[in-house]
Amino acid sequence: MANSESKAKKSPVGDFFRALGSDCREIGTTWAEGDGKTKLSFLIFGIGPILRGRALVGALHLALEILLIAFIAGFGWQYFSKLLTLGTVETNASGRVTTYGDNSFLILLFGLLTLCALAALIFVWRMNVRENRTEELLLKDGKKLPDNHTDFLSLFDSHFDVTLLALPVLGVFVFTVLPIIFMICVAFTNYDATHQAPSKLFTWVGLKNFRDLFSFGQDGFGSTFLTVLAWTLVWAFFATFLCYFLGIAVAMLINKKGIRFKKLWRTILVMTIAVPQFVSLLYVGKLFAPDGLINGTLLKWGLIRSALPFWTNPMWARITIIVVNIWIGIPYMMLIATGLLMNIPEDLYESARIDGATPWQMFRSITLPYMLFVTGPFLLTQFTGNLNNFNVIFLLNQGNPKSMGMVGGAGGTDLLVTWLYKMTINDTNYKMAAVIGIMVFIVTAVISLVVYQMLPSVKDEEGFQ
Amino acid sequence: MKKKILSVLLAGAMTAGMLAGCGGSGSKGGEIKIWVADNVVDFTKEKAESFLASDDQYKGWTVTVEAVGEGDAAGNMITDVTAGADIYGFAQDQIARLVAAGALVEVEASNASKVESANAAGVVNAAKVGSKLYAYPMTADNGYFLYYDKSVISDPSTLEGIIADCEAAGKNFYMDFGGWYQTAFFFGTGCTLTYDTDDAGNFTACNMDYDSDKGLAALKAMVQLASSSSFQQGSSAGDAVNYAAIVDGTWDAGVIQETLGDNYACAKLPTFTVDGQTYQMSGFNGCKLLGVKPQESEDKLAVCDALADYLTSEEVQLARYNAVGWGPSNIAAQNSDAVKADPALSALAEQFAYTIPQGNYPGDYWSLAESLRDSVIGEYQGADDATLQAALKSFQDSCMSYAQ
Repeated sequence: MANSESKAKKSPVGDFFRALGSDCREIGTTWAEGDGKTKLSFLIFGIGPILRGRALVGALHLALEILLIAFIAGFGWQYFSKLLTLGTVETNASGRVTTYGDNSFLILLFGLLTLCALAALIFVWRMNVRENRTEELLLKDGKKLPDNHTDFLSLFDSHFDVTLLALPVLGVFVFTVLPIIFMICVAFTNYDATHQAPSKLFTWVGLKNFRDLFSFGQDGFGSTFLTVLAWTLVWAFFATFLCYFLGIAVAMLINKKGIRFKKLWRTILVMTIAVPQFVSLLYVGKLFAPDGLINGTLLKWGLIRSALPFWTNPMWARITIIVVNIWIGIPYMMLIATGLLMNIPEDLYESARIDGATPWQMFRSITLPYMLFVTGPFLLTQFTGNLNNFNVIFLLNQGNPKSMGMVGGAGGTDLLVTWLYKMTINDTNYKMAAVIGIMVFIVTAVISLVVYQMLPSVKDEEGFQ
Repeated sequence: MKKKILSVLLAGAMTAGMLAGCGGSGSKGGEIKIWVADNVVDFTKEKAESFLASDDQYKGWTVTVEAVGEGDAAGNMITDVTAGADIYGFAQDQIARLVAAGALVEVEASNASKVESANAAGVVNAAKVGSKLYAYPMTADNGYFLYYDKSVISDPSTLEGIIADCEAAGKNFYMDFGGWYQTAFFFGTGCTLTYDTDDAGNFTACNMDYDSDKGLAALKAMVQLASSSSFQQGSSAGDAVNYAAIVDGTWDAGVIQETLGDNYACAKLPTFTVDGQTYQMSGFNGCKLLGVKPQESEDKLAVCDALADYLTSEEVQLARYNAVGWGPSNIAAQNSDAVKADPALSALAEQFAYTIPQGNYPGDYWSLAESLRDSVIGEYQGADDATLQAALKSFQDSCMSYAQ
């Protein structure tokens, strides 16, 4: 325990350089003490193992080297070499025939892929050097090297993890990691409606987009960004905690002794889950429209003289959205809470009752701490989920009403994600959308990490054992 | 090992995909991809195939017609020009964006003069960017006018009369306040809003005078209209309920006719009165265009040119009107008896006299106009003149900033 604590105090950067240093030292030793086979392996991967009779391991290294070099030289280099400029040759139209120039989009995408291939090449080289070192040390000790058959079988035994994970890791890299790196890079370019590949080039602009985001002039994104961010946080707070407490309240109500038809009430509430959410949301969105059923009926009955601005006034729209969200959120929370409430030991309540505790005191001191303890992580995921709750906002009123006071097409109920969506789809403003994407990540990450550390279930794991 | 093979395969597949996208270069014959709206897919396929079959020089060329709405075509083309259609229909307001993204090739000189003389002047202007003709006009029915219920509205010529009738009957009056429809007020009071584009599709200047007394009058009229309990934002008849009047275009004629039945009637847009002065509502008139994508092979370009020219000819425009009711842009087709007998098209033709051909507007304008729309309906209700004037100034400043 003491050991791990002292480790944690070291800075990760220092650790990295220390590891790099010892790595370099090891490579040096391998070269200095290595025989001819090892030295040859520095250039031709895996030749050492092959010459020492471990054809399978050696061939694997060699094949990886050939493949990676073939990929980089044959395909990747043409893109990678232009990565710093993202292309310089403009598309040219001579007469009516078009000759396409550099495609900045593909240069960025394949350039990054090539960069990853280069990193992989270095990694394979390092593995290959280490392999040689290990073999030499084993031989020096007078031990026998494992033969090919053993090596092959180890893929299904001691190295089974490698076999199992190869495909998933590749998938995660191609479909998740690479696009994320690509999107982060876009935030530092001027890729937008007037810089569209393949006809137009786009290029690196450094931190300009981030400066735009925090500029507070008339056309600056600053005030709009802060408005949207503030509403995103307010929304996530209310959407999470109102549903949470009301869900618990409803569950307790139904659980109460003496309430009849318990199953009926639960079924009625769960009906909202039975209908696909997007259908009910679109329907409810229409319901509250100025010409919708609610306004129409109220007007017909003469209760109001003009339509209530459920979606046209920003404050009304925000409240309406939160209220509608309560309606869809409560049933889920009720289901969860019903199970958990039944789990609280009845004797706690009994002894509290004997001591003369009021129902409110029992709730404050027994039910709530227990619920918070058990559902803490769930609350956190709900909160981060709500920060990015695209469905509810977009299906109910598309983030409207827009306002002359906001730039980038943002509306009064836009969350950061729905604003990002509008920028990408309506305005092809990829650069600002990428910047907003990074901001969403920062907000979500900071909140999750901070709150996670504060959770009772993390701080005191055995609290309710 | 597996990792690398796969990545090479993937990379290979990507390049192969890209090459296939430009396909047909070099060899004679190939495939031409056409994007048109869903309801004319079969019509276009039939016409295009009969055209290619009509002449031996088009031997070897085939067409695939896909349903991509005029609204989506531009976005899809710009997202990936190489994978986009060779010939595609789009709404004219997208043309500058498409030219700027390099998704449109100029109309060949010999075709251009023919196209310009055969089609209505306003439509030809809409198909131009700078001085160059970039697309073939396909329809001239992209405008809006008034549909109304004869049994409720006694006189469709003034906005005040229409609103009074609607309020008395407890019916709705629908009009969209977005960028396309709000010009009915602004242009009505005499304001202008146009953008100059250079030949490459960049916006070079913005000619605008919304920040003026005329602009204020228009904005006040909008705020006043929005305050009526009968007013509903929106111009989509399919979503409208309980209406006695709706400002909409010919595309919704069928829906409205079905709803209003025998009381169905059409008229030009009404007049509106602000501070004692009366103005005629104006607006945009617009059209659908057919464009050809830049090609790397001259053979293919020639076939695409010929095909696009044929698909927008008088014969096909008239056939298209008969098949799906799209109003023709070709002057000869416009003067045919069938087109003249259509009440919606007649009302539109009457309204066209008061409208301004829709030029090119930056995408940002449409987004900004939606902000103005929501502000008029919401926060500007009951606002004083100074607030509205400030709003117009901010609107104008932003519009100006879209041109460099």
